[in-house]
Amino acid sequence: MTVQTISDVVFGDELTPSQPDTSLQATRSFAQAVGYSGSGRFEDHGKARAQGLPGALVPGIMGMGFLTSMIHRWAPRGKIKHIDTVFRAPVLADHEHTVTAVVTDIDDENGEVVLDLTIKNEQEETRVFGTATVQLPST
Amino acid sequence: MTDIDDLRSKFLDLEFDRTGFVIDAEQSAKVAKASGETREAFIDPTDPNFEACAPILASLASGRRLPIDFPALGGISMDGGKAVACIKPVRPGIKLTGKTHLHDIYAKSGRSGRMIFLVSRMQLYDESGEHLATTDSRQVIRERPDK
Repeated sequence: MTVQTISDVVFGDELTPSQPDTSLQATRSFAQAVGYSGSGRFEDHGKARAQGLPGALVPGIMGMGFLTSMIHRWAPRGKIKHIDTVFRAPVLADHEHTVTAVVTDIDDENGEVVLDLTIKNEQEETRVFGTATVQLPST
Repeated sequence: MTDIDDLRSKFLDLEFDRTGFVIDAEQSAKVAKASGETREAFIDPTDPNFEACAPILASLASGRRLPIDFPALGGISMDGGKAVACIKPVRPGIKLTGKTHLHDIYAKSGRSGRMIFLVSRMQLYDESGEHLATTDSRQVIRERPDK
């Protein structure tokens, strides 16, 4: 499901959930690109466990990237004006996670939509939550 | 126990860091692709509308995490979250200046004790002084019981 204009958006609509790539290869690539690599916590399960972590992690801002990507797929003409993500618990690499969003407010006058965002693990535990404000054209 | 009101009165809204950045287009595209982004304006540096993606903006770190005279709070520090406000597209390759201040300090109490939240806000400007974006970095410190 995609939306093109503000009039396409329905209160309570859920964006199509997605399962992002949380593989070590993806987290390693991301960590290298943002300068987080070297410690192993995003690149190697063994090195991460040696640091007291349950395993290699998905960088927090990579989770933000999962969410912005999903929003862009949902609203190809939309512009994310603001996104706020709360890192509630670690997102583990190589574990399946589900990214979801739901429309919680529509401002027709300003062409803005508010989404509630979550990333949950296989146990349905919320690891990341947040909100985004997305601007959509009127026509 | 740390006096939150005292910290707020002494440190909120005072710029404590100014750092220059230049975002690399290929690096931003790599970050966007690794996050599953499919929009050309974020993954193709040759796209005429190419702009830096939100995660790369959130990754920009100030030279100092806290004001130089900010007291050590002890406890365990964690990355509590990030926010990005996009005002104008941030084009890679241009000189950016990030001005950082403490935007908020607050505490929450739970079963495991009190946690202190420090929100550092970086405002990103281009060379002409135009405000392009704002990023918030939320640091959480689990207070030691004896503090």
